[in-house]
Amino acid sequence: MAAMFSQNPLMNGPNYSVNDAPRATAPEGARQHRFDPYTDNGGSTLAIAGAEFTVMAGDTRLTSGYSINSRHHPKLFKIGGTTADQKDATIVLSVVGFAADGEALKERLDTICKMYRYRHGKPMSVKACAQRLSTILYQKRFFPYYAYAILGGLDEEGKGAVYSYDPVGSYEREQCRAGGAAASLIMPFLDNQVNFKNQYVPNSGEGHALQERERRPLSRSEVEVLVKDAFDGAVERHIEVGDGLQIMVITKEGVEEVLLPLKKD
Amino acid sequence: MDHRPQAWGRPRDDVYGAYDASYLHTNGPKTATQSPIVTGTSVIALKFKDGVVMAADNLASYGSLARFTDVKRLRPFLSTSVVGFGGDVSDMQFLDRHLTELAIDEAYEHDNTSSSSETPATAGQLNAANLHKYLSKLMYRRRNSFDPLWNQILVAGFDSSSTPFLASVDLRGTTFTSPSLASGFGAMLAQPIMRRHAATEEDAAKLTRDEAVAIVRECMKVLFYRDARSLDKYSIAVVTRDGVELSEEEQLEKQSWAFAERIRGYGTQTV
Amino acid sequence: MTSIGTGYDLANSIFSPDGRNFQVEYAVKAVENGGTSIGIRCKDGVVLAVEKVVTSKLLKAGANKRIATIDRHLGIVYSGMIPDGRHFIDRARDEARAWRDTFKTPIPTADLASRMGGYMQAYTLYQSVRPFGITAIIGGFDSTSEAPVDGEVGAGPSCGAGGKVPGKTYGGPFLYMVEPSGLYWGYYGAATGKGRQAAKAELEKLDLGGPAGPSLTLEQAVKEAARIIYVSHDDSKDKEFELEMTWISGADGPTKGLHREVPKELREEAERLAKKALEDDEDDEDEEEEKMEE
Repeated sequence: MAAMFSQNPLMNGPNYSVNDAPRATAPEGARQHRFDPYTDNGGSTLAIAGAEFTVMAGDTRLTSGYSINSRHHPKLFKIGGTTADQKDATIVLSVVGFAADGEALKERLDTICKMYRYRHGKPMSVKACAQRLSTILYQKRFFPYYAYAILGGLDEEGKGAVYSYDPVGSYEREQCRAGGAAASLIMPFLDNQVNFKNQYVPNSGEGHALQERERRPLSRSEVEVLVKDAFDGAVERHIEVGDGLQIMVITKEGVEEVLLPLKKD
Repeated sequence: MDHRPQAWGRPRDDVYGAYDASYLHTNGPKTATQSPIVTGTSVIALKFKDGVVMAADNLASYGSLARFTDVKRLRPFLSTSVVGFGGDVSDMQFLDRHLTELAIDEAYEHDNTSSSSETPATAGQLNAANLHKYLSKLMYRRRNSFDPLWNQILVAGFDSSSTPFLASVDLRGTTFTSPSLASGFGAMLAQPIMRRHAATEEDAAKLTRDEAVAIVRECMKVLFYRDARSLDKYSIAVVTRDGVELSEEEQLEKQSWAFAERIRGYGTQTV
Repeated sequence: MTSIGTGYDLANSIFSPDGRNFQVEYAVKAVENGGTSIGIRCKDGVVLAVEKVVTSKLLKAGANKRIATIDRHLGIVYSGMIPDGRHFIDRARDEARAWRDTFKTPIPTADLASRMGGYMQAYTLYQSVRPFGITAIIGGFDSTSEAPVDGEVGAGPSCGAGGKVPGKTYGGPFLYMVEPSGLYWGYYGAATGKGRQAAKAELEKLDLGGPAGPSLTLEQAVKEAARIIYVSHDDSKDKEFELEMTWISGADGPTKGLHREVPKELREEAERLAKKALEDDEDDEDEEEEKMEE
């Protein structure tokens, strides 16, 4: 007991300091909230890697509930350029889910890519950027960015690269991926049309002897048609998808951007 | 004996025991807004050829009680932009004071524009796009700390290339822009009317000021007819490159409630 | 200065036997070397002006402003050591901000002057600090209508408790000058810096403090301020100088209650008139001299 009132700052800290005075048990931590920090702003994205290009696409509708907040809200962002208009960027990020988190995620990744360029004197590779994006997402594992991200670019060999993520940073490199509200509508279509799933060589046999159709890289024009068809289909069946289709094609020449109309209903 | 100044005049620990400072601590959990209390309803805004029109009624409701009927929910900023607030009124007041401080900070550097021909945009002052970015970062930070400012905010003015600017940010930090914007009930009732006249940026760029003002006034009337938490007194602001014209004493005119008789459940029913 | 060199001038916290604080008096000397600053409180506003001595041709004309905005409705100009002035400005801005935070209303000019006077005075008390080497002129226009609280949304009751009192007047233009000792007074016209003697003589000729209040209007005051800076400028000491002027009117005046720089056109017109008045004076003097010689 004596030590308690010793007034020796070494034994019981600075005396009388308001912060160090004994606390009447104040239960902290037990916080209850009715505020839901998340919403789903709808929309859908899609990315397909080709032999020497990558096509990224997303619709431009932003919804909340049954309301259309905006008919022109881009989901595709060029990342890591040296200027405000990102005209020399070589990596594209697409985000769907909660728009505010998507925006924050995009800005985080963009600044990190810029810092990398300043520090190392060269742009970040897609592979490095993809790993870094995973880390960013996982850092918020317990208050996640509610955003489904897809990263597209060209790998070190100049081949198209698509990396897809879940909101907490689990990721893999893929040939193609659809994300967002209409992902479940678009993905089976892509499986069939890009990876030729369930396509067989006619008259090649019965049952297990049936030969799969041989996979081949798709040409750019084929992919562009595929993307438009995928979204036209999604627009027809999903209310949160529509208004405009933003497409970015990444080639060794840089990033080309087109904006196509979609149904506005 | 402890001779340090913070001990002066305090009872001695060795005689009286340690000082009980518990009353200085706030017990219980940290509090944050869980729901709005006094609220304002829709804010609507529409771009036109050389500016933006914004309107909001002058009512602050306490639940279903029409509590304050002279509440100004449109706030000019640096006489170059207008900020319209829907949602919690106390959070709006907090933000308004914050924006006042921001405007004073701006005045330290920029208000001394010496030539009268210099516009705020060229003088490097905060424009509406900058202000919207600032507010969206603020709102997003507050949602991240689970202590949101319970508002939906519309920001109108001009961007750095001096084209009309209109954007929204809400309590979660979600941002978006559109030729016309409306918060709350306005999103259901006013937005379709405004989109009929300005579906795209190009359409909006063809609207004259008078047309835009007329459309917005029409929308305010529709909102008063159908939104139970609305008022027939409202504020309307027009932002142009010449500045902000704000009128806070508007009255809805030429109301006709004849349509109500034909609608079951709307007012007194005789059948 | 009989006590100089007796050790009583080495520290702030020591009086000389004849009751003087020499450090403060030396600070005043620093002020007396600074470019002239003046302030005029007229019928519908306040004008602040400073003679900005151009110390180098490498300085950009019109840059490096000397008059600072403190709050929307407040401005400060000072003569003396510029870095001291900068710190004074910082503090004034903090005070104005702190007032807004507590009272949710703009700080009245009188209260700012009081707080800044107190701040200056504190720097005359301690061994470890030296007094400010500036004299500052604080100009402000307190709202003449009942000022709403910052963030206030409604108009409040129109009558009865808390209601508006018809005919009651508030605010107006105010001018204060704070000296290194911390002494501050309210003034009709204030001048400090190297040309203060001439400037004060000119200010006294203006109709500023009559029983019916000043008759000088803001535009006239701007022109007088420019003339006074030109008159008090000593060509033999500094050749080049720039005139910097700001003004504050009420909400219905040209600055809408804000502290703003005087528009370029008006300032140039005022400077033209000032130069003309100066030349006319010189002609008169020449004539007088000629007469004397005759």
